[in-house]
Amino acid sequence: MSEPAVAVTGLTKVFPVPLQRRSIVAVRDLNLRVDAGQVYGLLGPNGSGKSTTLKIILGLVSPTRGKTEIFGHDSSRVASRESVGFLPESPYFYKYLTAAETLRFYGKLCGMRGERLSARIDELLELVRLTEARNRRLRGFSKGMLQRIGLAQALAHEPQLVILDEPTAGVDPAGSREIRDLILDLKQRGITVLLSSHLLEQVQEVCDRVGILANGVLVREGTMTELLAVQNQTEVVLEGARPELLTQIAALATNAGARVIDQRTPQTTLEQLFLEATERSGDASR
Amino acid sequence: MKDSAHRALSFGRISALTANTLTELTRLKVFYVLLLFALLLIGSSAFMARLSFQQEFQVLKDISLGAMSIFTSLLAIVATARMLPQDLEDRTIYTILAKPVARFEYLVGKLAGVLLLLLISTLLMALLFAAVLFAREYAALAEVTRQMSSAPSEQLHDAVQAVRNATFNPDLLPGISIIYLKACLLASLTLFISTFATTNIFTIVVTVFVYFIGHIQGTAREFWLQQNGGTALSRIFLGVVALVFPDLQLFDFADDVVAGASIPFTLFANAAGLGCFYTVLYLLLSTAVFSGREL
Repeated sequence: MSEPAVAVTGLTKVFPVPLQRRSIVAVRDLNLRVDAGQVYGLLGPNGSGKSTTLKIILGLVSPTRGKTEIFGHDSSRVASRESVGFLPESPYFYKYLTAAETLRFYGKLCGMRGERLSARIDELLELVRLTEARNRRLRGFSKGMLQRIGLAQALAHEPQLVILDEPTAGVDPAGSREIRDLILDLKQRGITVLLSSHLLEQVQEVCDRVGILANGVLVREGTMTELLAVQNQTEVVLEGARPELLTQIAALATNAGARVIDQRTPQTTLEQLFLEATERSGDASR
Repeated sequence: MKDSAHRALSFGRISALTANTLTELTRLKVFYVLLLFALLLIGSSAFMARLSFQQEFQVLKDISLGAMSIFTSLLAIVATARMLPQDLEDRTIYTILAKPVARFEYLVGKLAGVLLLLLISTLLMALLFAAVLFAREYAALAEVTRQMSSAPSEQLHDAVQAVRNATFNPDLLPGISIIYLKACLLASLTLFISTFATTNIFTIVVTVFVYFIGHIQGTAREFWLQQNGGTALSRIFLGVVALVFPDLQLFDFADDVVAGASIPFTLFANAAGLGCFYTVLYLLLSTAVFSGREL
């Protein structure tokens, strides 16, 4: 079996409460494996331990027990971050820098220089569709634009693993769709993505595998198909079916020992409706 | 993974952080402090027009070196105190430390940015000081030449030489260097305090507290030794206090420089060495505390 992109083994994190004898267990005996090339969603309500887990994987917080590895290397070591890009939740970057200066700064931190860095900055701005805003200071950026520049800095050094903490938090549906498309684009390029979110519908659209955290414990884990399939039921979607046909199908099912549980008209999502409406009126074009 | 290519300490990463910190501080208009300094100098020189030239130069040097010392110290404390808490509050520190950047590199880069800002500020203030001093010397020479136009040439020459001697003395340069090194020490101390402080105000208050202790600890130590006879225990205690709180009185050369006294090289080297030692010591302590900090 190939080396997992992320391996978390027996991870526990306890935060002592200052001036009190009690402590808070943020993560309890967590085991997690993210294979290379996968998009893995870490789900859970606020305070469930998602961000703490990601911070431990990135070496920003030290574990109380257990270990975390990135491509087989101890993730507490600085060197392991050569292959990781990270976008924190609701990040603020240096407001006095322009989009291009921001990427130049982060590129230099990753050891990039000269023409290679300049070319990469152009590439990244193109990727997150901020080429027009390259010389604008971040002070004037919208929330969605900040998220996109955040994603660009995370990708500066072409990492093999990208960790995104609530990447669409506070972003409008159009911006959220753009970020989702970028994640799918990363997946196509073979980049592993580990993301945390509590927006279930979006996770369902992009993730291959999910883990659900509650009170620091991994309560469910598996592929989308495994987790979402309702056992012993089959869905058939018909177009142009007359009522008589539906009656015949129901009779056939009964004769075969099966049962029609539900019969309804498929619906679009509110998000899809919103996007279609705003795109049509030109509101979503930026 | 590019593990083998990773260098534990990279000049490139540190210089990127240094340049960014310097940009941040200059765009935050910290240099307005220099404008205040310029106004103070110009204002004081207008007032000094009524004094004799010896008094004028003495007061000018006194005010300028005093102002340089206060402004560089203030700049060091205020500019450094906000760096770490701001990066934590804005979460920019996560994006930086999630890159292959060691915490030591982050602190060195940040501190180097402040030290560079202090160097530029000190140089600009020194240039401004020199310009005002030259202007006043020029005016004083013109005045002396006009007043002594009928005097014998030897007397005129002596008078001109007296003006020149009163204007510049070579110890101004080491005096200004020590002011800079003291500011470096304070910046490093502030960085250390900010690694465990929770607010900017706490950092500034504690640094100012250490600043005052540093200025009185030399005198307090002598007084203690006189009173208690210098037992082994008291010497150890005082040694520890002296190590934690630097003796900032050793950096106060301004009075000697203004009075025209020569600064012995050993005194200068001692203060310069102490400044460098404490700057590095506090940086290492900052790294020790910051490395274990949960972000």
